[in-house]
Amino acid sequence: MANEFPILSRMQYDGHIRVVDVAPDFTMDQVAAACAAYSVGTHLPPPEPGKPLRIRPTTDDDNAAPFPADMTVADAELQKFDCVDIYIESDTA
Amino acid sequence: MPRLERSEWYDFARDTNWTPRYVDEQEIFPPEMSDPYGIPVSEWETFDEPYKVSYREYVRIQREKDAGAYSVRTALAHSDYYEEADPAYLSALKMHYGSISLSEYAACHADERMVRFGRAPSMRNMATFGMLDEMRHGQIHLWFAHALAKKDRQFDWAHQAHHTQNWAVVAGRHALDDVMMTRDAPTTSLMLNFAFETGLTNVQMIGLSRDAANMDDYTFSNLITSIQSDEARHAQIGTPVIQIMIRNGKKAEAQQAVDIAFWRIWRVFAILVGISMDYQIPLAKRDRSFKEYMREFVMTQYERQLTDVGLDRPWYWDIFLDDIENHHHCQQGGIWSWRPTVWWNPSGAVGPAEREWLEEKYPGWNDTYGKYYWDTIIQNIVEGHPEKTLATGMPMLCNMCQIPISNRPGEPWKARAYQVDYQDRRYSFCTSVCEWIFKVDPERYKHHHSIVDRMYSGEIDPPTMENVLLYMGSGVVSEGGKDAYDYAWADPYRAARSAAE
Repeated sequence: MANEFPILSRMQYDGHIRVVDVAPDFTMDQVAAACAAYSVGTHLPPPEPGKPLRIRPTTDDDNAAPFPADMTVADAELQKFDCVDIYIESDTA
Repeated sequence: MPRLERSEWYDFARDTNWTPRYVDEQEIFPPEMSDPYGIPVSEWETFDEPYKVSYREYVRIQREKDAGAYSVRTALAHSDYYEEADPAYLSALKMHYGSISLSEYAACHADERMVRFGRAPSMRNMATFGMLDEMRHGQIHLWFAHALAKKDRQFDWAHQAHHTQNWAVVAGRHALDDVMMTRDAPTTSLMLNFAFETGLTNVQMIGLSRDAANMDDYTFSNLITSIQSDEARHAQIGTPVIQIMIRNGKKAEAQQAVDIAFWRIWRVFAILVGISMDYQIPLAKRDRSFKEYMREFVMTQYERQLTDVGLDRPWYWDIFLDDIENHHHCQQGGIWSWRPTVWWNPSGAVGPAEREWLEEKYPGWNDTYGKYYWDTIIQNIVEGHPEKTLATGMPMLCNMCQIPISNRPGEPWKARAYQVDYQDRRYSFCTSVCEWIFKVDPERYKHHHSIVDRMYSGEIDPPTMENVLLYMGSGVVSEGGKDAYDYAWADPYRAARSAAE
């Protein structure tokens, strides 16, 4: 899509920071799925069923509040090369 | 035959200098090339190198070295060694030749700058020999690699690599351009001779030489040993420069230059040497682990050398120690997963015996790199889906070292992008050290675009993986990388699974 732009995916347990294209109308659930697609099944095992993935902005202390799952990229005001954490909700991040 | 012993004329000849009368000194030696530190010429003239050699001696000694190195190669040229050699070991050679051959030639230019613009006549003299050394190193690498190119096209990268936009080459070229191609004469000496050559090359040359000898590759082992004997001489150019700078109140400047260069070279060096030693050399032939070599030649020797010349350990020493435990393991996992992007065939090389060795040398390896990278990879191979082991998408590349931003997987959460916004552009770095280097002089680095930046600037258009590979030379100079053993290293896991079923 023409209005896609790259963000940085910092997936829990993954050793690599990855570049993921997102669109402004992506929900956080869609962003999480897009990010997980590059890590899960290639390097990471799939998360256990019933454990949703959440998104939060990357901060120095790894303790930012998660974005609501249905919030869009535009509403979250994510910009090019912003870094987000993708983590399993029930795991300590 | 000379009538005098060298010691009777050396100092007199070496220290000969002149005071120009027809042009201004600053026209011959502009400060931006010769000395941005404002140190008096009389101080530079105290430059005293520990290792002295006359031109007559140099020619004789170097001729003997070349005769030895080239004759060994000629004698072994008709053997079937390279046809029958371990494929992962051949990949280590391809990594080396592609990375190093034209880097040596580039270093010749760095020494040329010291020859032309050094204020100390003795420094100019020593750099002349260094220049000839590096010319030799470039030529001998290319000569040796050229014979292999007709056997395997991937060896053509020995000459082609530096002319491509391959990500690994961009990383090497960015580091070397920063450290030795674009600095004034004394700073080049600090960065190249002291930080790079004194600090790090012993690990590479001695360690690789031993591993090559264990692999019965005496051609390569002899080549490397021969090169390192030159290195031991011209690396010493940096020490008197540091001493003069400290004596003239420029310790902070010397420290910063050395610390920048050491980190820049370390980040690419760990890929080239660490992966070779810990993954490409077959387990039974490994002399020591990369960490053990680093402990002896860097953590002990370099730290002592810093103290001896009057400098301090870099501020980031603890980060560096942690990097020794992790950086090359991250890059091994990444390079293997993104193997079509490189010009050699990486080996997974994590069979059960290898993992046991890795765990012994790097405690915790199995709970991190094993569990969060290689277990999933192995499962895909064992289940008959090796295509799932090819990584998709792009890793984010550090805007300084140009290497994937990564750190130990698992817990705790270590991988992190350190980001700086400068003049409406965001820069991302792998560590606080690469970030610090940028902040020291952002104007110097701000223009460069990583491969990822080029995907989004329109330079790589369209930014598909297929096009990125072509842009980087994969499929152009040669085919990109495949697993060196065609996944045979995973056979024990297949067998274990079959037995369990």
